[in-house]
Amino acid sequence: MFTDFFYLLRQVGIPVSPTSFLRLQKALSMGLITSLDDFYTAARAILVKSERYFDLYDQVFAHHFEGAELKEPDAFELDEVARAMLDQWLKNPREMAEALGIDEEELNKLSPDELLQYFLDRLKEQTEEHHGGSKWIGTGGTSPVGHSGFHPGGMRVGGVSMNKSAVKVALDRRYRDYSQEGPLTQAQIGEALKRLRHMVPVGPKDVVNIDETIYQTMKNAGEIEIVFERSLKDRLKVILAIDNGGWSMEPYVEVVQTLFNHARAQFKELRTFFFHNTIYDYLWEDPPRIRKPFKVAELARLDPDTRFIIVGDASMAPYELMATDGSIHVEERSGKPSYERLQFIAETFPHSAWLNPRMKEEWPYTRTISIIQEIFPMFELTIDGLEQAVTHLMQKN
Amino acid sequence: MNTESPIRKFTGASKYVLDEELAQIVNISMALEMPLLLKGEPGTGKTMLAHAIAEALNMKLIVLNVKSSMKLVDALYQYDTLTRLNDSRFGDSTRDVSRIEDYIRMGKIGQAFVSDERVVLLIDEIDKADTDFQDDMLDVLDQMEFDIIEIDKTVKAKYRPVIIITSNAKKDLSDPFLGRCNFHHIAFPEPKMMRKIIEAHFPDISKDLLEHTIRAFYRMREFRGIEKKPATRELINWIRALKADPDFRIKDLIKGEIPYLGVLFKKSPDYTIARNAVSRMRI
Repeated sequence: MFTDFFYLLRQVGIPVSPTSFLRLQKALSMGLITSLDDFYTAARAILVKSERYFDLYDQVFAHHFEGAELKEPDAFELDEVARAMLDQWLKNPREMAEALGIDEEELNKLSPDELLQYFLDRLKEQTEEHHGGSKWIGTGGTSPVGHSGFHPGGMRVGGVSMNKSAVKVALDRRYRDYSQEGPLTQAQIGEALKRLRHMVPVGPKDVVNIDETIYQTMKNAGEIEIVFERSLKDRLKVILAIDNGGWSMEPYVEVVQTLFNHARAQFKELRTFFFHNTIYDYLWEDPPRIRKPFKVAELARLDPDTRFIIVGDASMAPYELMATDGSIHVEERSGKPSYERLQFIAETFPHSAWLNPRMKEEWPYTRTISIIQEIFPMFELTIDGLEQAVTHLMQKN
Repeated sequence: MNTESPIRKFTGASKYVLDEELAQIVNISMALEMPLLLKGEPGTGKTMLAHAIAEALNMKLIVLNVKSSMKLVDALYQYDTLTRLNDSRFGDSTRDVSRIEDYIRMGKIGQAFVSDERVVLLIDEIDKADTDFQDDMLDVLDQMEFDIIEIDKTVKAKYRPVIIITSNAKKDLSDPFLGRCNFHHIAFPEPKMMRKIIEAHFPDISKDLLEHTIRAFYRMREFRGIEKKPATRELINWIRALKADPDFRIKDLIKGEIPYLGVLFKKSPDYTIARNAVSRMRI
C-alpha cells in the first residue's frame, strides 16, 4: 500500500528507508491507523527522521493525497545547482564568467546573495525559455558597493591600497589552488583529522587501572596497591577564530570549519569566531559578522587553558595592523591598534597558534605576517603544519 | 500485546497538555514497540512527555541522563571490582566474594530490562554522548538484551520498555540509529496551545494575567540577537515568580515593566539585550 507515496518521497530527496516503510505497513496492518490524519502523523513519525524534511513531506503528502500542485522537482535542484555555481565562481571567477559568456567585472560587483539570485535567474531562464546569448548579460548596475569582502570588487572599501589593489593580490593567490602541495583541501580532511586526534586531553588521575592494580598488588605480596590512570573527562576547550573576510580565505573557511566540527566530539567545547583580516575590538559569532559580536576583552573571562587557534592569511596593509583606527570597516573604529589586541589574546591564552594557508616561503615577503609571527607561533595550513601546530598546542606550559 | 489487555492509550496527564498529533505518535510507537526520538527547542517539554506518559499509564519511569563521557556499559551494568577487592581483603561483608554476580549492579537500561513490570525508559539528551554510544545502543535496543561479560550471562528484557529518547540536536544522530526510531519534532507551541499549557499548570490563574504574560512572552521571544530564546519552561517559572511576588500588578506589564527578566533570559548577553529592548517595549 502507498508504494507510490513512498517512491515520491524518495524522489524529492527525503531519505526514506525500505525498513521504515515496512514498519509503516505493520502499523497499518495492526489497525492503528484509521484516518488520513492518523496516516499523516504516523507516516511522518515512522518515515521521516529529521525536521528538516517536514516541509517537503507536507508538500508531497498534500500532492499525493489532496492533489495539490507539487513544486517542480527542478526547483529543489535548481537551488543546489546555483549554490554550486556560486562556489565555483568564488574559486575561479574568470572561468565561470567565460562559461556564462558575461563580463567578469559585471559579476564582480554583485554581492554573494545577488550572485546566487543571478545564477538562479539565469538557470531558470535556461530551463524555461532558452533565450540564448543576449539574455545572459548581467543586470550589474543594481549592485551596492560590496562590503562583505567575499569578492574582489567588494574588498576595497574604507581604505586605500598601499601598493597593489586587492583584486590583484587576490589574483596572485588564486594559483595556489592548483599547486600539488597546496594547503588543506576538502579531500585531505581525513588525514588532517588524524592529526587533530593528537589533541588528547590530560585529565586528573581518577580511573582505576584494574590490570595494573592486580599486578602491583601481587608484587606487593597481597597488600592492595591501587593504580590510578588519567581519565578522559577533562577534555580540551578550543576556540577557532577564522578570517572569513578576504576572499582569498574563502576556499579554506569551509575546510577548516568542517575539520574542527568533525573533531568536535573530542573537544569539551568548540567555539568558532570570525573576523576580517585581523582582530579589533570584536570577534563575531556569525559568519556575516553582523549580528553576534563578541567583545575581545571578554575573552579574558574564558578558561585560559583554552586552545586558541586562528586561521587567516595574515596579509593586509600594515596600517590595518599597526594604526589606532586601522580597520577597513568604518564602523569598527576602536582606539586600539589590532597589534595590541592580538598581543592581548596571545597573553590570555598561552596555548595559541596561527594557521596560515599561505605557503611558508612567501611569509617573509609580507610585512604583516612577520609582525604577527612575533605574537603568535605560525604554522602552515597543511597536513604537516597542522601536525606541528597540534604538537605545539599540546606542549605543557 | 495480547487480546485480554486492551491497548492502553496515552491521552495526556494532569500537567501535560498533549496535542493530538503527538498523542498519536506516542501510541503508534508504543504499539510498534519502537523507541520514540524527540527533538525540539530546549524547554518545550521533551523530557516532560516521558514523565507524563509514566504518570498517565501508571508505569514506573527510569531516567537515563546521558553524559558526554558516558559509555554504554555504564548504562547497562557496573561490575564493582573495587568493593570486591576490598571484600576479599577484609572479608567482613555479607557478600560472597567468589560470586561475581553479587558485585554486578544494574545501570539504568539494565534496571528497565529486569523490571517486573513494563516501565517507561527515558534516555535524556542522547546527543551529548559520542556517536559510539549511539551505535552501541542500537543492538541493545533492537534485541532487547545484553551480555554481562564477567559472568557470561545474557540479560533479556522481561517487558519491552516504552523508550523515549530526547535530543537537543547539538549533533546529528547517526543514520542507522535514526532508522530504528520513530521521530517527532516538538515545535514551539502556538500562543493558543501555550494558554492551555499555562492553564494546566496554574488552574487558578486570572484571565488578565494569562493574556498579558503570554503576549509579553511572545514579544520577548522576538527580540533580535537573543541566543537562547525563553521557552515554555522559562514562561512557567516566570509566571510562578510573578504570582509569588505580592508587589506585582498586572498594570506593570501593560506599562512595559517586566520584572524578573533573569528568569526568562539566562545568558548575560541575552539579559542585557532583553533589558534594553524591554525598556522600549509597550504591550
